[in-house]
Formats: sequence, C-alpha cells, structure tokens
Amino acid sequence: MRIRNRQDFATGLFFIAIGLGAYWIAADYPMGTAMRPDTGVLPKALAWLLAGTGIILAGKSLVADGPHLTEWAWRPALMITLATIAFALLVDRVGLAVTMLVSMTLAAFGTPETRWREYALFAIFMVVLGVVVFILGLGMPIRILPQGLSWR
Amino acid sequence: MALDGLLANLALGLSVAATMQNLMWCLMGAVIGTAVGVLPGVGPVATMALLLPVTYVLPADGALIMLAGIYYGAQYGGSTTAILVNLPGESSSVVTTLDGYQMARQGRAGPALAIAAIGSFFAGCVATILIAAAAPPLTRLAQQFAPADYFSLMVLGLVFSIVLARGSIIKAFGMVFLGMLLGLVGTDVNTGNLRFTFGISDLFDGLGFVPLAMGIFGIAEIIANLTNPERRDLVSSKVSNLWPSREDFRRSRGPILRGTILGSVLGLLPGGGAVLGSFSAYTLEKKVSKTPEKFGTGMIEGVAGPESANNAAAQTSFIPMLTLGIPSNAVMAMMIGGMMIHGIIPGPQVMEQRPGLFWGMIVSMWFGNLMLIILNLPMIGLWVRLLLVPYRLLAIAVLFFCCIGVYSLNNSANEVLFIAGFGLLGYLLIKLDCEPAPLLLGFILGPMMEVYMRRAMLLSRGDPWVFFQRPLSFAFLVLAGILLLLVVLPAIRKGRETAFQE
Amino acid sequence: MRRREFLTMAGAAAVTSFSIPRATAQVANWPERPVRCIIPYAPGGGSDLIGRPWAEALSQTFGQQFVVENRGGAGGMIGTEAVAKAPPDGYTLLATPGATLTVLPHLRKAPYDATKFVPCGRTGDFVTGFSINAQVGPKTFAEMLDYAKKNPGKLSYGSAGLATATHLRLEMLKFKAGIDILHVPYRGSADALNDLLPNNVQMMNEINNIPHVKAGKLHLLNINDTQRHWDFPDIPTLTELGYPDSDVPIWYSIQGPPGMPQEIAEKLNAAMVKLAQTDDMKSKLRAVSASLPVQSTKQVAEFFAADSQRNADLIKAAKVKLE
Repeated sequence: MRIRNRQDFATGLFFIAIGLGAYWIAADYPMGTAMRPDTGVLPKALAWLLAGTGIILAGKSLVADGPHLTEWAWRPALMITLATIAFALLVDRVGLAVTMLVSMTLAAFGTPETRWREYALFAIFMVVLGVVVFILGLGMPIRILPQGLSWR
Repeated sequence: MALDGLLANLALGLSVAATMQNLMWCLMGAVIGTAVGVLPGVGPVATMALLLPVTYVLPADGALIMLAGIYYGAQYGGSTTAILVNLPGESSSVVTTLDGYQMARQGRAGPALAIAAIGSFFAGCVATILIAAAAPPLTRLAQQFAPADYFSLMVLGLVFSIVLARGSIIKAFGMVFLGMLLGLVGTDVNTGNLRFTFGISDLFDGLGFVPLAMGIFGIAEIIANLTNPERRDLVSSKVSNLWPSREDFRRSRGPILRGTILGSVLGLLPGGGAVLGSFSAYTLEKKVSKTPEKFGTGMIEGVAGPESANNAAAQTSFIPMLTLGIPSNAVMAMMIGGMMIHGIIPGPQVMEQRPGLFWGMIVSMWFGNLMLIILNLPMIGLWVRLLLVPYRLLAIAVLFFCCIGVYSLNNSANEVLFIAGFGLLGYLLIKLDCEPAPLLLGFILGPMMEVYMRRAMLLSRGDPWVFFQRPLSFAFLVLAGILLLLVVLPAIRKGRETAFQE
Repeated sequence: MRRREFLTMAGAAAVTSFSIPRATAQVANWPERPVRCIIPYAPGGGSDLIGRPWAEALSQTFGQQFVVENRGGAGGMIGTEAVAKAPPDGYTLLATPGATLTVLPHLRKAPYDATKFVPCGRTGDFVTGFSINAQVGPKTFAEMLDYAKKNPGKLSYGSAGLATATHLRLEMLKFKAGIDILHVPYRGSADALNDLLPNNVQMMNEINNIPHVKAGKLHLLNINDTQRHWDFPDIPTLTELGYPDSDVPIWYSIQGPPGMPQEIAEKLNAAMVKLAQTDDMKSKLRAVSASLPVQSTKQVAEFFAADSQRNADLIKAAKVKLE
C-alpha cells in the first residue's frame, strides 16, 4: 500500500481524528425523543459524517495521485501566535501602549525581513494610531499606560 | 397605497432628511461606518454599542439616521478589507474574499473595490425604493415563514456552501461538517446543556464569528504569506488600473441585478438573511456562468453579485424592524435600542404615529448611499496604495487590528486568545488545501438549522412530515436535493475516471 | 447646543480612559472617578432600556461618569460573574434583571453566590402580562383558560430563553391553573415575537408585545404586577383574577459586588430614591412600559430574598427542570 496523495491522506486523518474526538466528547450527551430531539443528536451525527468524510478522503488518497505536503512555516506560525497571546494576556493589565509594543515586536520576529529601524518608526506610528482611534475616538475601556505610570 | 400617497410620504421624509443637521448626522454615520467597516473586526454592532450613549443627546431622528448610516456604511467598508487583505469583517463578506482577494493579488484591487461600491450603491437604491413602496406586503411575505421553512432554507444554504467550493467536493463536505461542529460549541439553547465547552466559561456562549473569521482568514493568511514571498508579492508588484474596464462593467451588470433581487428578498428574513443573500448570489453566478471553473480565481462576477446582495439585504433587513419592531440581526436590535432610548417603542404604529421619523429615515438611506459612493470611489486609490506598504509591516498592522477588533466585541481579552488557536487551525487548512469558506458557512448556518429543526419538531409535536407538508419547506428541500445531485454526480464520475486511469 | 453636548460627551469619554483605579477605596469621597455599570446582556435589550437612563441620571447627580458596559453571555452569568469577582470598591456595579440572581442559581450551577451581592436600589419593573394571538380566539384570561383546558397541549408559549423570568411565568401559570401549554424557548424576546405574530406560537409575556396589543394583533389577558397598567386600565392583575402572590414583576436593580461597603450602597440608594421621584425619570421608564418602585436598601434586600424564595418554591413545586 502506497500513499499517493499525502495532502488528502493527511486531511482524511485530520477529519477522522476530529470526528472521533467529537464523538468521544459527545458520547454521553442525551438524544431525546422525536418531539424533543436533545443535545446529542446533531453533534453525534456530525461526528460520524466528518469521520466518514475523512475515511473516504484517506481511502481515495491511496488510489489517486496528488500533491505532497509542503514545508511548514514554523517561525511565523510560532511568533504570530505568541504575539496574539501576548496581546490577550497584557491588554487588561498594562494598558494598550505597552501591549502593542510587546505584541508587535514579537510579530516582527516572525520574519527575517524585518528592518529594525523602519520597524521602530512604524511601531511608534501604530501605537499613536491605536490610542487615538480606539481609546480617544471609539472610547474603548482600555487603559493607555500601565497603572504606575499614568496621571490623574 | 396609492402613488400620490407614496409621493406625499416621500416628500415628508425629504423634509426631515434634508435638514442641515440630519444631513450632517447621516454623513457622520456614513463616515464612521466606513471607517469601522474598514477596520477589520470592529464591526457595526460594537461601534453602535459604543456610540449609543452619544445618540442619547441627539434628537430621535438624527440619532436613528446616524445609527443607520453606521450600518450601511460598514457594509461598504467591510468589503474593502475582504478584498485587500482577505479579512472578512462580517459574515456577509466571506464570499467577497473568494474572488475579491484573488483579484487583488492579480493587481486588480481597484476594479474589485469599484465594482463592489457601484454594486452596493445600485442595490442600496433599489432596496430603499422597495422599503418605501412595499414594506407592508414584504413584511407579510416574511411572515409566511414557519420554523420548518427556515430549517429547509438553512439546508439549502449549506448546499450552496458546497456548491461554491472550488477544489475537492469531499473536502468541502468535511469543512461544512467541521464548521457545524464548531458552531455547536456552547450552551444548547433548547436545553441549557453545555457542549464542547471543556468547562471554560468564555465558551458557554459559543465561539464568535469574528474571532473565527479573523483567525482562519486573517491570521492564517499572515502566517502563510510571511514565509512565502511569491504568495503575496503579486499584490504589490502590479497594481494596474484603478477603474474597471468596459469589459468589467459588461460582465458585472447581470450579477449586480440578480444579486440585488436575491439580497432584497433574503434580507427580509431574520437570522441569516444577509449571509444567505451573499452566498446564494455567488452560487447563482457560478451556476449561470459559462466558465464556472474559473470562480475563485478572480472573477469580477464573484464580487459584483454577492456585494450587491449583501447591501440590498442590509437595507431590506430594516423592513421587519420598522414595520413590526422585530430585529432581524444584532444591528437591528441596536437600532431598536436606539429607538427605545428616545421613548419610541418599535412596532406597527411607528409608521402612523411618527411618520416624519419613519419616512425621514428611509429617505436618509438614499442620501447615505449617495454620500457613500461619493466618499468611497475616490478612496479606492488610497486603499490600493495601502497594499504598497511592505508586507512585513502590513502583516503586523493587520494582526493588531484583528486583536483589538476581537477585543472590542465584548471587551474580553480571552476571545483574543481564541484567535491564536484559530490562526493555527487556518494555517493547517491552507496547508491541507481546504477552503475555509464552507467551514464558516457551516459555522453560521449549522446552529441555526438545529434551532429551527428542534423548534419545528416541537411545534409539530414530533411529526417530521412537517418539512414536506409545508409548500415552502418542500420547495427548498427539493431545490437543495437537485443542486446537491448536480454537484456530486460529476465529482463522482470524475473521481472514477481518475481512479481507472491509474 | 447639540454639537457642544456631543463634544462634551466625547471629551468625557476620552478623559474616562485616562483615569486609573486606585488601590484603596475611599468610601467617604465615593465616587471620585468613573463607575462601571456592567449589564450582563447584549446591547439593545431590555436591560439596556432600564440601565442606560439610570447611568445617564446618576452621572449627572454625582458628577462622575457612570459608564455602561455590556458583558452578555450564558443567560447573564458571564457579566454577573465578572462583577462578583471585581474589587468591591464601588467602581464596578451590576445593573441586572432579577433572573440572574434569583432564578438562574436555582436551576443551574452559577459561578457566583447570588446572596452575597450588595443591593443598592431598584431601577424599574417591566409591566406586561400574558398575551395571545388574536387568531386563536380567546380574548380574556378566563376564555384562554377554558380553551387550554379543552385543548390540552395545543397552545404553545414563546419565552426569551430557559431560566429567564418569562420562562418561570409560564411554569407558574401551568402549575397554578393546572393547564398544559407547550414551552418553546427562543433566543431573546424579539426572536419569539417573530413566531408569535404569524401564530407559529400562540402566547408570550414580554413588553415587546404591547405595541401589537395596541394594534389589535394580540390580546392582553392580564397584568403581572401589583397595579394595573396605565395604558390598559381594563385588564385585571393576576391577584384580581384569583391567583394571589403571582404578580411577580420583571424587576431590575443595581447591585454591588460581594463585600462592597454598605456606605456606598446607601449613598447610591439615596440618590436613586431622589431620582426615582422626578418626573423625567418616571416618564423615561414609562415610555418602555416600566414602573418605578422606590425602596431603601433594606427593603430591596428583603424583596430580593422573598423573590428568590418564591422562585425556589415554585421551581420545586412545579418540578421545573432545564429539559
């Protein structure tokens, strides 16, 4: 047996895994009656359908040729994800300005193309833009600076 | 209503809408709306919520004219980010990304944006006339829908989402199922049971559309583009002409007209009206086209149809709100909030008791659309130039807008955490060559379908025949069946051929 | 001038964001900076209609912004939980309908202890009653009972959702009148109204029915309040119809987080009592079909406890479960 279409094979496995996982979680959701179909009906049906789709896809990938998987972009995937997480964790704690600087700098590490001097100017511009548009303009309830640094 | 009655009403509306102040509020709403529509993630609902206290100090007609302006302004603006950076700010602009972003990558962002604006303007004008001339009969039409009919309509919508997929049909099915599963996360409305929440209280209300779309489209696209210069350099390399060619106009005429009609009708329905409008317009264009296989590669029809449909639907969704006080979406709920703040209880008597307000708002919509097209067409050059910003910087800006946009929805930092996960999921889907659009449609329609299915079963006291006995429902199901066969049969035949060739 | 007012508002919003919470709360000088009023539902709903006029009026009274913040989700649990966990310094308050504190905890495991909140004042009661689609036939409460008894299970009732005050109303009616009506939960009252008007469901009990009662599409059968509705002087209350202790209003209040100093609650209550007697406030609430009870903090606490007890009793007696 040879896998002729790695991309489809991987997709098939992905669908099967999610389908089985969803079924496992939904296993004890009640099914109800015809008049009151309960919580479990659609999740279980969808879990089977998804896994079934995965099986067809994986099966087909054994008989028909297709593209291989391309290389993963680890660096941007990691840094962009970290940048997002940093934004989420910081925004309520240290205010928008610091949050933006940390998050954007992490994102800038995501690509080797970053030119740091250019980035510094851009970052300042973005922080000013962010504060003016979202806090002063739209009045979003976020602090601008960390607690100890701001004035009353 | 007699024609001169209508004219008298429109004259009354004109006298309200054309005052200096109200024109100013209208312009302000349109400008704010365009601005927030362009900011990815910051949608009209969040903006209206933020500005609702401001409208407190305005007179009722000014406040409502401004709020309405924000809404349809955002519809104009929303397509901009969908086309430029593949970020659908709202569910109804998901399909715009399919061909709009492809056009932008081929250096044709200008024509795409222009056609989107022109289509929206045309649709907005037609829908405004519809509201003025036929709001009450249209309301009666929408009232014909029972839960069983909505269910079948949702089924049809899911079939649309498979039809519009470009690549593998099997993957499209998988994406729809996966999307529906994601849509089920949260509290089951009928029973209060929790599903797939893992005890996290931020999931009790389900995943939000905006975090999902921002992650799967926006963040994933950034990740993929940052390492892959060829993927994106097209965008900045050859920004050719800004204005659509004569050929573009010729090709867009039909789609704009058909999109307007579809959108106007579906916009009347509560819930998924605007979304179904844009999806079905896309499906229709793909079906009537002589080259359906080219859809998804930058066909202007794929922008013109859905954009007209979603703007038409945005306008006609005012009808149930104005005539019955029923909000068909979150934005209309905000409008109702805005009315009630001014002591106006929305309902059938608004038209009689406050005719100036009612007709003034309708006339202002036309002014608003006019202002929007005047505002937006010259902006296209500016937007397109935005693509000349080096991608290493543009990516960071888009990421920030995604984060703050999602934060603005509920002032919740935890929802920003979700987009990190969705970004990785979206990246995986790009790698596996799975189109995310069907997933998003399944996500939106799946839970609604379940709600209507259970409501229909409850009201029919457990009799499933209700779906076939009601003529509307039956018609939708038959149509869905036919469409499904049309899509699946050729795929199976083709699959067999390739298998035998081996 | 209007434009100037707008600019002032924008300025105030800007200033708001510059200020920062202080570590120690100075009770005597409260409020020294803007106060957050969390409404545990999405914007534009009933809670907003009551909450926003109050935030406006309190801002004027205290000279500090009372900023409304909608934190919707999970039937009001998410916003309520946020307040429960906020610092009890009087700068975060909850503006909520009774359901999140006196209904939900009896039906579901809530992530907060409802009895620990510090009641500050009542902000209004929605006044409405059961209404029935005119196409069904019955025009009065008695006729509806008669119809329901002859056709058990035929009528259906749309509520704003499970474990809401309107859901409980139906359970009360079914239990006390001994009739069988099908409960159909919706996502909010607007969603339910959309099925009520074409007669897909027959009955509801929400303020958004009132315009349609006036237009003749629905019949209002009763009023669930201690007094009759000013616009419908002919419609009797449930007590008058022979169901004592059933006229439970859908009531709203401002609550402080557990542990908030009582002095702040009293200071707020005093201002609220004064405001509740102004014609401006009365007419603003009347416009959304709400009446305005005036109570001291002690009375609110008593009312709160009684409401919670009554709901618990009903839920137990009628065996209400989240199906």
